[in-house]
Amino acid sequence: MSDTPPQPDHDSRLFRRTLLSVMAMQVATLLLLWLLQIRYTR
Amino acid sequence: MRALDWVIVAVYLVYVLVDGVRRAKGTREIEGYFLANRSLPWWAVGLSVMATQLSAITLIGTTGQGATDGLRFVQFYFGLPLAMVILGVTLVPFLHGARVFTAYEYLERRFDARTRSLTSFLFLVARGMSCGTIIAAPAVVFSAIFGWSLLWGVALMGVPTVIYTMIGGVQAVTWVDVKQMALIVFALIAVMVTLLMQLPVAPDHALALAGAAGRLRAFDFSFDLTNDFTFWSGLVGGTFLMLSYFGTDQSQVQRYITAKSVDQARSSLLMSAYWKIPLQALVLLTGVLVFVFFVFQRPPLLFNPAAEQAVRAAEPAMYGVLDERYRTALRERETAAHAVAVEASAASLEAFRAREADVSAAREEALGLARRVTGTSAQDVNYVMPYFVLHFLPVGLIGIFVAAVLAAAMSSIAAELNSLATVTVIDFYRRWVRPEAPDAHYLLVSKAATGFWGLFACVVATFAATLGSLIVVVNRFGSFFYGSILGVFLLAMIPRARATGAFFGLIAGMAAVGVVNVGAPSVSWLWHNVIGAVTVVAVGLGLSVRRV
Repeated sequence: MSDTPPQPDHDSRLFRRTLLSVMAMQVATLLLLWLLQIRYTR
Repeated sequence: MRALDWVIVAVYLVYVLVDGVRRAKGTREIEGYFLANRSLPWWAVGLSVMATQLSAITLIGTTGQGATDGLRFVQFYFGLPLAMVILGVTLVPFLHGARVFTAYEYLERRFDARTRSLTSFLFLVARGMSCGTIIAAPAVVFSAIFGWSLLWGVALMGVPTVIYTMIGGVQAVTWVDVKQMALIVFALIAVMVTLLMQLPVAPDHALALAGAAGRLRAFDFSFDLTNDFTFWSGLVGGTFLMLSYFGTDQSQVQRYITAKSVDQARSSLLMSAYWKIPLQALVLLTGVLVFVFFVFQRPPLLFNPAAEQAVRAAEPAMYGVLDERYRTALRERETAAHAVAVEASAASLEAFRAREADVSAAREEALGLARRVTGTSAQDVNYVMPYFVLHFLPVGLIGIFVAAVLAAAMSSIAAELNSLATVTVIDFYRRWVRPEAPDAHYLLVSKAATGFWGLFACVVATFAATLGSLIVVVNRFGSFFYGSILGVFLLAMIPRARATGAFFGLIAGMAAVGVVNVGAPSVSWLWHNVIGAVTVVAVGLGLSVRRV
Protein backbone atom coordinates (compact mmCIF):
# COMPACT_ATOMS: atom_id res chain seq x y z
CA MET A 1 0.00 0.00 0.00
CA SER A 2 1.22 3.48 -0.83
CA ASP A 3 1.54 6.37 1.59
CA THR A 4 1.49 8.84 -1.26
CA PRO A 5 -1.89 10.41 -1.83
CA PRO A 6 -3.11 10.93 -5.40
CA GLN A 7 -2.31 14.34 -6.87
CA PRO A 8 -5.26 16.76 -6.89
CA ASP A 9 -6.39 17.93 -10.29
CA HIS A 10 -5.87 21.70 -10.32
CA ASP A 11 -6.54 22.55 -13.91
CA SER A 12 -10.29 22.38 -14.16
CA ARG A 13 -11.68 25.61 -15.58
CA LEU A 14 -15.16 24.39 -14.75
CA PHE A 15 -14.18 24.08 -11.10
CA ARG A 16 -12.80 27.63 -11.04
CA ARG A 17 -15.87 29.03 -12.76
CA THR A 18 -18.15 27.23 -10.30
CA LEU A 19 -15.99 28.48 -7.46
CA LEU A 20 -16.38 32.07 -8.61
CA SER A 21 -20.16 31.73 -8.91
CA VAL A 22 -20.31 30.15 -5.41
CA MET A 23 -18.42 33.08 -3.95
CA ALA A 24 -20.56 35.60 -5.86
CA MET A 25 -23.72 33.93 -4.54
CA GLN A 26 -22.45 34.04 -0.93
CA VAL A 27 -21.46 37.71 -1.21
CA ALA A 28 -24.86 38.57 -2.73
CA THR A 29 -26.74 36.67 0.04
CA LEU A 30 -24.69 38.19 2.85
CA LEU A 31 -25.12 41.64 1.33
CA LEU A 32 -28.89 41.12 1.14
CA LEU A 33 -29.03 39.97 4.78
CA TRP A 34 -26.89 42.95 5.80
CA LEU A 35 -29.16 45.35 3.93
CA LEU A 36 -32.23 43.78 5.60
CA GLN A 37 -30.60 44.27 8.98
CA ILE A 38 -29.53 47.90 8.54
CA ARG A 39 -32.75 48.90 6.73
CA TYR A 40 -35.22 47.42 9.21
CA THR A 41 -33.45 46.95 12.55
CA ARG A 42 -33.61 50.35 14.18
CA MET B 1 -55.57 17.54 8.28
CA ARG B 2 -58.27 16.68 5.74
CA ALA B 3 -58.59 13.53 3.62
CA LEU B 4 -56.77 15.19 0.69
CA ASP B 5 -53.75 15.93 2.90
CA TRP B 6 -53.57 12.32 4.08
CA VAL B 7 -53.84 11.13 0.48
CA ILE B 8 -50.88 13.36 -0.47
CA VAL B 9 -48.82 11.96 2.43
CA ALA B 10 -49.77 8.37 1.49
CA VAL B 11 -48.94 8.95 -2.21
CA TYR B 12 -45.57 10.41 -1.20
CA LEU B 13 -44.75 7.39 1.01
CA VAL B 14 -45.77 4.84 -1.65
CA TYR B 15 -43.87 6.71 -4.39
CA VAL B 16 -40.68 6.91 -2.33
CA LEU B 17 -40.88 3.23 -1.44
CA VAL B 18 -41.45 2.11 -5.04
CA ASP B 19 -38.83 4.48 -6.46
CA GLY B 20 -36.25 3.37 -3.89
CA VAL B 21 -36.86 -0.35 -4.25
CA ARG B 22 -36.64 -0.29 -8.07
CA ARG B 23 -33.08 1.05 -7.76
CA ALA B 24 -32.03 -2.42 -6.54
CA LYS B 25 -31.49 -3.42 -10.20
CA GLY B 26 -28.03 -1.85 -10.36
CA THR B 27 -26.78 -3.12 -7.02
CA ARG B 28 -25.73 -6.73 -7.50
CA GLU B 29 -22.17 -6.16 -6.30
CA ILE B 30 -20.96 -4.49 -3.15
CA GLU B 31 -19.39 -1.60 -5.14
CA GLY B 32 -22.77 -0.96 -6.76
CA TYR B 33 -24.63 -1.28 -3.47
CA PHE B 34 -22.41 1.13 -1.52
CA LEU B 35 -20.88 3.36 -4.23
CA ALA B 36 -23.22 3.05 -7.26
CA ASN B 37 -20.08 1.91 -9.17
CA ARG B 38 -18.89 5.55 -8.85
CA SER B 39 -21.19 6.53 -11.68
CA LEU B 40 -23.53 9.23 -10.33
CA PRO B 41 -23.75 12.71 -11.90
CA TRP B 42 -22.56 15.68 -9.81
CA TRP B 43 -25.95 17.40 -9.60
CA ALA B 44 -27.65 14.30 -8.16
CA VAL B 45 -24.81 13.87 -5.66
CA GLY B 46 -25.01 17.59 -4.78
CA LEU B 47 -28.74 17.40 -4.11
CA SER B 48 -28.18 14.24 -2.05
CA VAL B 49 -25.49 16.03 0.02
CA MET B 50 -27.96 18.84 0.71
CA ALA B 51 -30.88 16.50 1.46
CA THR B 52 -28.77 14.47 3.89
CA GLN B 53 -27.83 17.58 5.86
CA LEU B 54 -31.36 18.97 5.85
CA SER B 55 -33.35 17.05 8.45
CA ALA B 56 -36.94 17.33 9.62
CA ILE B 57 -35.78 19.56 12.43
CA THR B 58 -34.45 22.02 9.83
CA LEU B 59 -37.96 22.37 8.46
CA ILE B 60 -39.88 22.57 11.70
CA GLY B 61 -37.23 23.63 14.23
CA THR B 62 -35.31 26.17 12.16
CA THR B 63 -38.48 27.87 10.97
CA GLY B 64 -39.59 27.97 14.61
CA GLN B 65 -36.21 29.46 15.50
CA GLY B 66 -36.76 32.12 12.83
CA ALA B 67 -40.15 32.94 14.37
CA THR B 68 -38.90 33.16 17.95
CA ASP B 69 -35.28 34.24 17.55
CA GLY B 70 -34.93 35.72 14.06
CA LEU B 71 -32.22 35.35 11.44
CA ARG B 72 -29.12 35.16 13.65
CA PHE B 73 -28.95 31.34 13.38
CA VAL B 74 -27.87 31.79 9.73
CA GLN B 75 -24.39 32.72 11.05
CA PHE B 76 -23.94 29.05 12.00
CA TYR B 77 -23.53 28.31 8.27
CA PHE B 78 -21.08 31.08 7.37
CA GLY B 79 -18.16 28.65 7.41
CA LEU B 80 -19.81 26.15 5.08
CA PRO B 81 -18.86 27.62 1.67
CA LEU B 82 -15.27 28.10 2.81
CA ALA B 83 -15.15 24.52 4.14
CA MET B 84 -16.49 23.17 0.85
CA VAL B 85 -13.86 25.02 -1.15
CA ILE B 86 -11.07 23.78 1.16
CA LEU B 87 -12.38 20.20 0.92
CA GLY B 88 -12.68 20.52 -2.85
CA VAL B 89 -8.96 21.14 -3.23
CA THR B 90 -7.70 18.93 -0.38
CA LEU B 91 -9.61 15.91 0.96
CA VAL B 92 -11.92 15.21 -1.98
CA PRO B 93 -9.08 14.39 -4.43
CA PHE B 94 -7.44 12.23 -1.70
CA LEU B 95 -10.56 10.23 -0.90
CA HIS B 96 -11.98 9.94 -4.42
CA GLY B 97 -8.60 9.11 -5.92
CA ALA B 98 -7.83 6.49 -3.25
CA ARG B 99 -10.81 4.41 -4.50
CA VAL B 100 -11.89 3.66 -0.94
CA PHE B 101 -15.33 2.66 0.32
CA THR B 102 -15.01 4.62 3.55
CA ALA B 103 -13.05 7.65 4.68
CA TYR B 104 -11.58 5.57 7.52
CA GLU B 105 -10.26 2.92 5.11
CA TYR B 106 -7.94 5.62 3.79
CA LEU B 107 -6.55 6.15 7.30
CA GLU B 108 -5.22 2.57 7.37
CA ARG B 109 -3.45 3.11 4.05
CA ARG B 110 -1.92 6.31 5.38
CA PHE B 111 -1.37 5.32 9.04
CA ASP B 112 -2.39 1.99 10.57
CA ALA B 113 -5.30 -0.32 11.36
CA ARG B 114 -5.84 0.92 14.93
CA THR B 115 -6.36 4.55 13.80
CA ARG B 116 -8.83 3.33 11.19
CA SER B 117 -10.70 1.13 13.68
CA LEU B 118 -10.88 3.81 16.39
CA THR B 119 -12.24 6.51 14.05
CA SER B 120 -14.74 4.14 12.44
CA PHE B 121 -15.87 2.89 15.87
CA LEU B 122 -16.43 6.49 17.02
CA PHE B 123 -18.43 7.12 13.85
CA LEU B 124 -20.62 4.04 14.43
CA VAL B 125 -21.43 4.99 18.03
CA ALA B 126 -22.16 8.66 17.30
CA ARG B 127 -24.04 8.18 14.04
CA GLY B 128 -26.03 5.18 15.34
CA MET B 129 -27.27 7.30 18.23
CA SER B 130 -27.80 10.47 16.19
CA CYS B 131 -29.80 8.51 13.61
CA GLY B 132 -32.17 7.62 16.44
CA THR B 133 -32.50 11.26 17.48
CA ILE B 134 -33.15 12.31 13.86
CA ILE B 135 -36.18 9.99 13.90
CA ALA B 136 -37.18 10.89 17.45
CA ALA B 137 -37.36 14.68 17.09
CA PRO B 138 -40.11 14.83 14.40
CA ALA B 139 -41.82 11.73 15.87
CA VAL B 140 -42.25 13.58 19.18
CA VAL B 141 -43.77 16.57 17.36
CA PHE B 142 -46.10 14.34 15.31
CA SER B 143 -47.24 12.48 18.42
CA ALA B 144 -47.97 15.78 20.23
CA ILE B 145 -49.92 17.43 17.40
CA PHE B 146 -51.76 14.38 16.00
CA GLY B 147 -52.16 12.54 19.32
CA TRP B 148 -50.42 9.45 17.90
CA SER B 149 -48.39 7.05 19.97
CA LEU B 150 -44.68 7.73 19.59
CA LEU B 151 -44.12 4.28 18.10
CA TRP B 152 -46.44 5.10 15.22
CA GLY B 153 -44.48 8.25 14.35
CA VAL B 154 -41.17 6.36 14.53
CA ALA B 155 -42.56 3.56 12.34
CA LEU B 156 -44.00 5.98 9.76
CA MET B 157 -40.54 7.40 9.04
CA GLY B 158 -38.36 4.43 9.97
CA VAL B 159 -40.00 1.46 8.24
CA PRO B 160 -40.21 2.75 4.62
CA THR B 161 -36.72 4.27 4.87
CA VAL B 162 -35.18 1.04 6.14
CA ILE B 163 -36.92 -0.97 3.40
CA TYR B 164 -35.79 1.15 0.44
CA THR B 165 -32.27 1.71 1.83
CA MET B 166 -31.84 -2.00 2.56
CA ILE B 167 -33.00 -3.11 -0.88
CA GLY B 168 -31.80 -0.28 -3.11
CA GLY B 169 -28.50 0.72 -1.45
CA VAL B 170 -26.83 4.03 -2.28
CA GLN B 171 -28.61 4.30 -5.66
CA ALA B 172 -31.93 4.39 -3.82
CA VAL B 173 -30.61 6.83 -1.22
CA THR B 174 -29.30 9.28 -3.83
CA TRP B 175 -32.13 9.22 -6.37
CA VAL B 176 -34.83 9.36 -3.70
CA ASP B 177 -32.90 12.26 -2.10
CA VAL B 178 -33.14 14.18 -5.40
CA LYS B 179 -36.94 13.94 -5.39
CA GLN B 180 -37.15 14.63 -1.66
CA MET B 181 -35.04 17.77 -2.03
CA ALA B 182 -37.31 19.02 -4.83
CA LEU B 183 -40.37 18.41 -2.62
CA ILE B 184 -38.79 20.22 0.35
CA VAL B 185 -37.88 23.33 -1.69
CA PHE B 186 -41.31 23.37 -3.35
CA ALA B 187 -43.06 23.14 0.05
CA LEU B 188 -40.92 25.95 1.49
CA ILE B 189 -41.57 28.29 -1.43
CA ALA B 190 -45.30 27.46 -1.38
CA VAL B 191 -45.50 28.24 2.35
CA MET B 192 -43.58 31.51 1.85
CA VAL B 193 -45.92 32.62 -0.97
CA THR B 194 -49.03 31.66 1.05
CA LEU B 195 -47.71 33.60 4.05
CA LEU B 196 -47.10 36.72 1.97
CA MET B 197 -50.61 36.45 0.50
CA GLN B 198 -52.25 36.03 3.92
CA LEU B 199 -50.45 38.91 5.67
CA PRO B 200 -52.74 41.91 6.20
CA VAL B 201 -49.86 44.36 5.71
CA ALA B 202 -47.50 45.07 2.82
CA PRO B 203 -44.17 43.14 2.78
CA ASP B 204 -42.26 46.34 3.60
CA HIS B 205 -44.33 46.89 6.76
CA ALA B 206 -44.07 43.20 7.64
CA LEU B 207 -40.28 43.51 7.51
CA ALA B 208 -40.44 46.72 9.56
CA LEU B 209 -42.36 44.85 12.28
CA ALA B 210 -39.93 41.92 12.16
CA GLY B 211 -36.99 44.34 12.32
CA ALA B 212 -38.48 46.25 15.29
CA ALA B 213 -38.83 42.93 17.15
CA GLY B 214 -35.16 42.11 16.43
CA ARG B 215 -35.99 39.25 14.08
CA LEU B 216 -33.90 40.57 11.14
CA ARG B 217 -30.61 40.82 13.03
CA ALA B 218 -28.51 38.36 11.00
CA PHE B 219 -25.03 39.56 12.06
CA ASP B 220 -23.50 39.68 15.52
CA PHE B 221 -19.83 40.72 15.34
CA SER B 222 -19.13 40.39 19.07
CA PHE B 223 -16.31 37.97 19.92
CA ASP B 224 -18.04 35.97 22.62
CA LEU B 225 -16.84 32.38 23.09
CA THR B 226 -19.96 31.51 25.09
CA ASN B 227 -22.38 32.59 22.35
CA ASP B 228 -23.27 29.86 19.84
CA PHE B 229 -24.34 32.21 17.08
CA THR B 230 -21.92 35.01 16.28
CA PHE B 231 -20.20 35.93 13.03
CA TRP B 232 -16.87 34.63 14.36
CA SER B 233 -18.12 31.35 15.86
CA GLY B 234 -19.93 30.68 12.58
CA LEU B 235 -16.97 31.56 10.40
CA VAL B 236 -14.17 29.92 12.42
CA GLY B 237 -15.94 27.24 14.50
CA GLY B 238 -18.41 26.62 11.69
CA THR B 239 -15.63 26.11 9.13
CA PHE B 240 -13.99 23.47 11.34
CA LEU B 241 -17.35 21.80 12.04
CA MET B 242 -18.26 21.70 8.34
CA LEU B 243 -14.77 20.47 7.42
CA SER B 244 -15.27 17.64 9.92
CA TYR B 245 -18.79 16.86 8.84
CA PHE B 246 -18.32 16.97 5.07
CA GLY B 247 -14.72 15.79 5.03
CA THR B 248 -14.64 12.96 7.57
CA ASP B 249 -18.19 11.85 8.33
CA GLN B 250 -18.97 8.79 6.24
CA SER B 251 -22.64 9.81 5.83
CA GLN B 252 -21.39 12.76 3.74
CA VAL B 253 -18.18 11.32 2.30
CA GLN B 254 -20.13 8.39 0.86
CA ARG B 255 -22.31 10.80 -1.09
CA TYR B 256 -19.49 12.39 -3.09
CA ILE B 257 -17.26 9.34 -3.60
CA THR B 258 -20.12 7.94 -5.68
CA ALA B 259 -19.50 10.73 -8.24
CA LYS B 260 -18.04 9.89 -11.67
CA SER B 261 -14.79 11.83 -11.19
CA VAL B 262 -12.89 14.06 -8.77
CA ASP B 263 -14.15 17.16 -10.59
CA GLN B 264 -17.74 15.93 -10.35
CA ALA B 265 -17.29 15.17 -6.64
CA ARG B 266 -15.94 18.70 -6.09
CA SER B 267 -18.75 20.23 -8.10
CA SER B 268 -21.34 18.37 -6.01
CA LEU B 269 -19.87 19.92 -2.84
CA LEU B 270 -19.76 23.35 -4.45
CA MET B 271 -23.42 22.98 -5.36
CA SER B 272 -24.17 22.56 -1.68
CA ALA B 273 -21.92 25.55 -0.89
CA TYR B 274 -23.80 27.60 -3.48
CA TRP B 275 -27.26 26.99 -2.03
CA LYS B 276 -26.75 26.38 1.69
CA ILE B 277 -26.76 29.96 3.07
CA PRO B 278 -29.55 31.18 0.73
CA LEU B 279 -31.63 28.10 1.60
CA GLN B 280 -31.12 28.51 5.34
CA ALA B 281 -31.91 32.22 5.03
CA LEU B 282 -35.13 31.27 3.20
CA VAL B 283 -36.06 28.77 5.95
CA LEU B 284 -35.39 31.35 8.69
CA LEU B 285 -37.14 34.14 6.77
CA THR B 286 -40.21 31.87 6.48
CA GLY B 287 -40.13 31.62 10.27
CA VAL B 288 -39.76 35.41 10.58
CA LEU B 289 -42.87 35.86 8.41
CA VAL B 290 -44.71 33.34 10.61
CA PHE B 291 -43.85 35.64 13.54
CA VAL B 292 -45.34 38.63 11.68
CA PHE B 293 -48.38 36.53 10.75
CA PHE B 294 -49.00 35.77 14.43
CA VAL B 295 -48.91 39.48 15.21
CA PHE B 296 -52.28 39.66 13.42
CA GLN B 297 -53.63 36.27 14.51
CA ARG B 298 -54.11 34.82 17.98
CA PRO B 299 -51.33 32.31 18.65
CA PRO B 300 -51.65 29.99 21.66
CA LEU B 301 -49.78 30.75 24.87
CA LEU B 302 -47.96 27.42 24.53
CA PHE B 303 -47.49 25.92 21.07
CA ASN B 304 -46.92 22.36 22.34
CA PRO B 305 -50.47 21.02 22.81
CA ALA B 306 -49.35 18.24 25.17
CA ALA B 307 -47.58 20.74 27.45
CA GLU B 308 -50.54 23.12 27.31
CA GLN B 309 -52.95 20.38 28.38
CA ALA B 310 -50.66 19.34 31.22
CA VAL B 311 -50.38 22.93 32.53
CA ARG B 312 -54.13 23.56 32.17
CA ALA B 313 -54.82 20.40 34.20
CA ALA B 314 -52.18 20.99 36.89
CA GLU B 315 -52.38 24.79 37.34
CA PRO B 316 -55.75 25.94 35.94
CA ALA B 317 -55.93 29.20 37.93
CA MET B 318 -52.39 30.33 37.24
CA TYR B 319 -52.69 29.35 33.59
CA GLY B 320 -55.95 31.33 33.30
CA VAL B 321 -54.35 34.49 34.70
CA LEU B 322 -51.34 34.17 32.41
CA ASP B 323 -53.52 33.46 29.38
CA GLU B 324 -55.64 36.56 30.06
CA ARG B 325 -52.51 38.71 30.39
CA TYR B 326 -51.19 37.20 27.15
CA ARG B 327 -54.45 37.91 25.28
CA THR B 328 -54.38 41.54 26.40
CA ALA B 329 -50.74 41.91 25.37
CA LEU B 330 -51.53 40.34 21.97
CA ARG B 331 -54.40 42.78 21.35
CA GLU B 332 -52.22 45.75 22.25
CA ARG B 333 -49.39 44.46 20.05
CA GLU B 334 -51.76 44.07 17.11
CA THR B 335 -53.03 47.65 17.57
CA ALA B 336 -49.43 48.91 17.68
CA ALA B 337 -48.66 46.87 14.52
CA HIS B 338 -51.53 48.47 12.63
CA ALA B 339 -50.16 51.88 13.68
CA VAL B 340 -46.81 50.89 12.14
CA ALA B 341 -48.63 49.91 8.93
CA VAL B 342 -50.18 53.38 8.79
CA GLU B 343 -46.90 55.16 9.48
CA ALA B 344 -43.63 53.36 10.25
CA SER B 345 -42.26 56.19 12.41
CA ALA B 346 -39.70 55.82 15.21
CA ALA B 347 -42.46 56.35 17.80
CA SER B 348 -44.84 53.72 16.34
CA LEU B 349 -41.99 51.20 16.05
CA GLU B 350 -40.94 51.88 19.65
CA ALA B 351 -44.54 51.35 20.83
CA PHE B 352 -44.70 48.07 18.90
CA ARG B 353 -41.38 46.97 20.44
CA ALA B 354 -42.71 47.64 23.95
CA ARG B 355 -45.91 45.63 23.32
CA GLU B 356 -43.84 42.80 21.82
CA ALA B 357 -41.80 42.73 25.05
CA ASP B 358 -45.06 42.28 27.03
CA VAL B 359 -46.08 39.34 24.83
CA SER B 360 -42.63 37.74 25.19
CA ALA B 361 -42.69 38.18 28.98
CA ALA B 362 -46.06 36.42 29.29
CA ARG B 363 -44.79 33.58 27.05
CA GLU B 364 -41.58 33.21 29.10
CA GLU B 365 -43.61 32.88 32.29
CA ALA B 366 -45.86 30.27 30.68
CA LEU B 367 -42.83 28.31 29.47
CA GLY B 368 -41.39 28.42 33.01
CA LEU B 369 -44.70 27.15 34.39
CA ALA B 370 -44.75 24.33 31.81
CA ARG B 371 -41.18 23.44 32.77
CA ARG B 372 -42.18 23.12 36.43
CA VAL B 373 -45.32 21.09 35.65
CA THR B 374 -43.90 18.69 33.04
CA GLY B 375 -40.39 18.43 34.51
CA THR B 376 -38.87 18.69 31.01
CA SER B 377 -37.56 21.47 28.79
CA ALA B 378 -40.63 23.46 27.84
CA GLN B 379 -39.10 25.20 24.81
CA ASP B 380 -41.75 24.93 22.11
CA VAL B 381 -39.75 26.23 19.12
CA ASN B 382 -40.37 22.95 17.26
CA TYR B 383 -44.16 23.38 17.57
CA VAL B 384 -44.54 26.90 16.14
CA MET B 385 -44.38 25.88 12.47
CA PRO B 386 -46.60 22.76 12.84
CA TYR B 387 -49.23 24.95 14.59
CA PHE B 388 -49.15 27.46 11.74
CA VAL B 389 -49.25 24.75 9.05
CA LEU B 390 -52.16 22.83 10.57
CA HIS B 391 -54.28 25.86 11.42
CA PHE B 392 -53.64 28.35 8.63
CA LEU B 393 -52.42 26.63 5.45
CA PRO B 394 -54.99 25.65 2.82
CA VAL B 395 -56.02 22.02 2.35
CA GLY B 396 -53.53 20.22 0.12
CA LEU B 397 -50.62 22.43 1.11
CA ILE B 398 -50.80 20.96 4.62
CA GLY B 399 -50.30 17.48 3.13
CA ILE B 400 -47.43 18.75 0.98
CA PHE B 401 -45.70 20.30 4.00
CA VAL B 402 -46.12 17.17 6.15
CA ALA B 403 -44.77 15.07 3.24
CA ALA B 404 -41.81 17.49 3.00
CA VAL B 405 -41.09 17.04 6.73
CA LEU B 406 -41.17 13.26 6.25
CA ALA B 407 -38.92 13.66 3.17
CA ALA B 408 -36.40 15.73 5.14
CA ALA B 409 -36.29 13.13 7.92
CA MET B 410 -36.14 10.14 5.57
CA SER B 411 -33.35 11.57 3.39
CA SER B 412 -31.12 12.04 6.43
CA ILE B 413 -32.01 8.65 7.94
CA ALA B 414 -31.40 6.80 4.66
CA ALA B 415 -27.93 8.32 4.16
CA GLU B 416 -26.98 7.54 7.74
CA LEU B 417 -28.20 3.92 7.56
CA ASN B 418 -26.34 3.40 4.29
CA SER B 419 -23.10 4.82 5.73
CA LEU B 420 -23.45 2.91 9.01
CA ALA B 421 -23.83 -0.35 7.06
CA THR B 422 -20.82 0.54 4.86
CA VAL B 423 -18.54 1.18 7.85
CA THR B 424 -19.80 -1.95 9.64
CA VAL B 425 -19.11 -4.18 6.65
CA ILE B 426 -15.99 -2.57 5.16
CA ASP B 427 -14.14 -1.38 8.28
CA PHE B 428 -15.06 -4.20 10.63
CA TYR B 429 -16.61 -7.29 9.01
CA ARG B 430 -14.39 -7.44 5.91
CA ARG B 431 -11.34 -6.07 7.75
CA TRP B 432 -11.42 -8.19 10.89
CA VAL B 433 -13.99 -11.00 10.60
CA ARG B 434 -14.00 -12.31 7.03
CA PRO B 435 -11.44 -10.68 4.71
CA GLU B 436 -12.07 -13.08 1.80
CA ALA B 437 -15.60 -13.92 0.67
CA PRO B 438 -17.69 -13.78 -2.50
CA ASP B 439 -19.34 -10.47 -3.34
CA ALA B 440 -22.78 -12.04 -2.88
CA HIS B 441 -21.90 -12.81 0.73
CA TYR B 442 -20.83 -9.22 1.47
CA LEU B 443 -23.95 -7.94 -0.23
CA LEU B 444 -26.13 -10.10 2.00
CA VAL B 445 -24.25 -8.96 5.12
CA SER B 446 -24.55 -5.32 3.95
CA LYS B 447 -28.34 -5.59 3.67
CA ALA B 448 -28.52 -7.27 7.07
CA ALA B 449 -26.32 -4.48 8.54
CA THR B 450 -28.64 -1.82 7.06
CA GLY B 451 -31.62 -3.59 8.63
CA PHE B 452 -29.82 -3.90 11.96
CA TRP B 453 -28.93 -0.19 12.09
CA GLY B 454 -32.49 0.71 11.07
CA LEU B 455 -33.86 -1.31 13.96
CA PHE B 456 -31.23 0.14 16.32
CA ALA B 457 -32.11 3.70 15.29
CA CYS B 458 -35.85 3.08 15.80
CA VAL B 459 -35.22 1.64 19.28
CA VAL B 460 -32.96 4.60 20.18
CA ALA B 461 -35.68 6.94 18.83
CA THR B 462 -38.27 5.55 21.22
CA PHE B 463 -35.92 5.94 24.18
CA ALA B 464 -34.52 9.32 23.06
CA ALA B 465 -38.02 10.75 23.08
CA THR B 466 -38.82 9.58 26.59
CA LEU B 467 -35.43 10.43 28.09
CA GLY B 468 -35.59 13.94 26.69
CA SER B 469 -32.06 15.04 27.42
CA LEU B 470 -30.54 12.18 25.41
CA ILE B 471 -30.53 14.37 22.31
CA VAL B 472 -28.33 16.87 24.14
CA VAL B 473 -26.08 14.06 25.36
CA VAL B 474 -25.70 12.69 21.83
CA ASN B 475 -24.81 16.12 20.42
CA ARG B 476 -22.28 16.76 23.17
CA PHE B 477 -20.81 13.29 22.70
CA GLY B 478 -20.40 14.00 18.98
CA SER B 479 -18.68 17.31 19.62
CA PHE B 480 -16.09 15.47 21.76
CA PHE B 481 -14.43 13.90 18.75
CA TYR B 482 -15.72 15.58 15.59
CA GLY B 483 -12.85 18.08 15.49
CA SER B 484 -10.36 15.40 16.58
CA ILE B 485 -11.24 13.15 13.65
CA LEU B 486 -10.77 16.14 11.35
CA GLY B 487 -7.33 16.60 12.95
CA VAL B 488 -6.38 13.01 11.99
CA PHE B 489 -7.35 13.65 8.36
CA LEU B 490 -5.37 16.90 8.37
CA LEU B 491 -2.38 14.95 9.68
CA ALA B 492 -2.86 12.46 6.85
CA MET B 493 -2.10 15.23 4.39
CA ILE B 494 1.15 16.18 6.11
CA PRO B 495 3.91 13.91 4.74
CA ARG B 496 5.99 13.74 7.93
CA ALA B 497 3.07 12.66 10.17
CA ARG B 498 3.32 9.07 11.40
CA ALA B 499 0.85 6.44 12.63
CA THR B 500 1.70 6.71 16.34
CA GLY B 501 1.31 10.49 16.19
CA ALA B 502 -2.10 10.11 14.53
CA PHE B 503 -3.41 7.57 17.04
CA PHE B 504 -2.23 9.32 20.21
CA GLY B 505 -2.98 12.73 18.71
CA LEU B 506 -6.60 11.58 18.27
CA ILE B 507 -6.81 10.53 21.91
CA ALA B 508 -5.15 13.81 23.02
CA GLY B 509 -7.63 15.83 20.91
CA MET B 510 -10.63 14.14 22.53
CA ALA B 511 -9.05 14.59 25.98
CA ALA B 512 -8.47 18.32 25.31
CA VAL B 513 -12.13 18.78 24.34
CA GLY B 514 -13.12 16.84 27.47
CA VAL B 515 -10.98 19.14 29.66
CA VAL B 516 -12.52 22.27 28.07
CA ASN B 517 -15.97 20.77 28.47
CA VAL B 518 -15.44 20.23 32.20
CA GLY B 519 -13.20 23.23 32.97
CA ALA B 520 -15.00 25.83 30.83
CA PRO B 521 -18.49 24.49 30.15
CA SER B 522 -19.70 27.89 28.95
CA VAL B 523 -17.44 27.78 25.87
CA SER B 524 -19.69 27.21 22.87
CA TRP B 525 -19.52 23.68 21.43
CA LEU B 526 -18.67 25.14 18.00
CA TRP B 527 -15.20 25.98 19.36
CA HIS B 528 -14.70 22.34 20.48
CA ASN B 529 -14.10 21.42 16.85
CA VAL B 530 -11.29 23.97 16.57
CA ILE B 531 -9.71 22.85 19.87
CA GLY B 532 -9.92 19.13 18.94
CA ALA B 533 -8.46 19.54 15.44
CA VAL B 534 -5.62 21.86 16.50
CA THR B 535 -4.63 19.58 19.42
CA VAL B 536 -4.53 16.46 17.22
CA VAL B 537 -2.34 18.17 14.63
CA ALA B 538 0.01 19.64 17.27
CA VAL B 539 0.37 16.45 19.34
CA GLY B 540 0.42 14.24 16.25
CA LEU B 541 3.22 16.22 14.64
CA GLY B 542 5.14 16.39 17.94
CA LEU B 543 5.05 12.61 18.35
CA SER B 544 5.91 12.09 14.68
CA VAL B 545 9.04 14.23 15.03
CA ARG B 546 10.19 12.21 18.06
CA ARG B 547 9.85 8.97 16.11
CA VAL B 548 11.93 10.39 13.27
